[in-house]
Amino acid sequence: MPSQDEKRAGLSRRSLLQGAAAAGAAGLAATAIGAVASPALAATGSAPAPDQAHGQAPGRAHGRAPGGPIMVHVRDARSGDIEVFAGTSQTRLRDQDLAARIARSIG
Amino acid sequence: MSSHREAPEISKDPVADSTDVYAFVSPDQPGTVTLIANYIPLQSPAGGPNFYEFGDDVLYEIHVDNNGDGRADVSFQFRFTTRVRNPETFLYNTGPIQSLDSPNWNRRQTYDVTMVSGFSARAIGTGLACPPCNIGPLSTPDYGALAAQAVHHLGGGITVFAGQRAEGFYVDLGAIFDLGDLRPFEQLHATFGLPALKAVPGVNATNNVNVHSIAIQVPVSALRRSGHPTIGVWTTASRQRVRLWDADNGENVDSGPFRQVSRLGNPLVNEVLIPLGHKDQWNSLPPSDDKRFLQYVTQPGLAALHPVLYPGVFPNLAALVKSSKPRADLQAILLTGIPSGIIADFTNFTGPVLADMLRLNTSIPPTPSARQSIFGLLGGDAAGFPNGRRVTDDVVAIELRALAGVTYPLIDKNFKPDAAAGQLTDGLTPASVHAPYLGQFPYLGVPYSGYNEPS
Repeated sequence: MPSQDEKRAGLSRRSLLQGAAAAGAAGLAATAIGAVASPALAATGSAPAPDQAHGQAPGRAHGRAPGGPIMVHVRDARSGDIEVFAGTSQTRLRDQDLAARIARSIG
Repeated sequence: MSSHREAPEISKDPVADSTDVYAFVSPDQPGTVTLIANYIPLQSPAGGPNFYEFGDDVLYEIHVDNNGDGRADVSFQFRFTTRVRNPETFLYNTGPIQSLDSPNWNRRQTYDVTMVSGFSARAIGTGLACPPCNIGPLSTPDYGALAAQAVHHLGGGITVFAGQRAEGFYVDLGAIFDLGDLRPFEQLHATFGLPALKAVPGVNATNNVNVHSIAIQVPVSALRRSGHPTIGVWTTASRQRVRLWDADNGENVDSGPFRQVSRLGNPLVNEVLIPLGHKDQWNSLPPSDDKRFLQYVTQPGLAALHPVLYPGVFPNLAALVKSSKPRADLQAILLTGIPSGIIADFTNFTGPVLADMLRLNTSIPPTPSARQSIFGLLGGDAAGFPNGRRVTDDVVAIELRALAGVTYPLIDKNFKPDAAAGQLTDGLTPASVHAPYLGQFPYLGVPYSGYNEPS
């Protein structure tokens, strides 16, 4: 059962995993698209852990790992609600055009 | 139990599934507290060729709250790294493993320990070796000595161990999950119209299996605040938000910030108090949010079941349940600690914040082993559960008895517990655990070997 927090976000852990798996190819697309489209992207803020130190993973580099994968979860293609994950970071975008292009790219 | 496979989602992720937490003033090092968090439940010792190991992709933590707000003030974080010496063999080991640097050991783990205090994080151990699993007399011929090499002294009086141990928690899972049956009393069970049962001794379902333990012994001064001897302890496991199966490389790729997927403080809380539909949510939250689960502690479903499953045995409990009076005794034991003035010369109260934490009053010295009671505080032994938890404490019997009303007189002296309430047990004791507990760190016994178990 989704937690209340997840319900509020309209997201369950299972749907996230499924969404992430489906977004694997899209993630690569978003990396390329982002270079072109980034001025138009409206980052709506990252979602840090509830506690900045406890629950994080010290001893490992935070943020985006150089050369590591970037994963994209299109939460809602219609509204353009997109989450982007890299390393131990995440950010949330709202870009209807990008979401539509990703959706089209996977048929 | 006490938190093995306790929630639907985490039961599918054993590497991140916390099973038990222990916190006690070290009997042989009284200036220190020992904290143990167990993971990976119900390991069959012969489970090769890929024997059990911690998850490189899991952030394991042991937390300590020392100001009563249900949030971590000190955390110990453990991150594991697995290395394979020779990927061209299927073997875990290619000969006897007699030292932690043995070239015969093919798949090994090391770990880093970080101590987080507030917003400050400090690496206190790096590249620490885990022991291998206990395989058998040819592969791990002197396992006790081998595992002892994996006890690391980090300086500052901190000692740490991470690796396989014998399961020390004893419980008759097979009977209890068969509609609340307690074998020693099953002649009294309602049996739902089925033939009557006959009382028999309990069976330790967790005997002869192993777990993976993270144990750390810390000077008490590093954990508690001046003037506040009681600490709250719990463990968590967290995973990164995204996992992608990279089919090209045959591996998982993880990304994003860590999010908590498993939590454990007091034994059996998520297991038997939190309803099925909320267990994984409970696992994802900090203790400071436990107010939202208060009703499941103060109106526990299991207490209401006792009179139904054992008709006529618990009339006073039945009346208490029918009255719908909140179980403030359970609230104190599990969510706030017991205030002073309730039990003579004892308190482990941390304040009004409702938080499921294992509360340990560190000013209470360890009870000598000859005078310990496995029933802890219920047995007049203030150094045992629910004042922290020792590896031998019979937390099943203690909680069964508390739920049955034994502790309700703490808040209502007019309540008389049923005679049976104080006798409840699943029929097991520490002697039901075949592997002897250790008298020194890490206290849990040498794991069972795959050669000898199952026998």
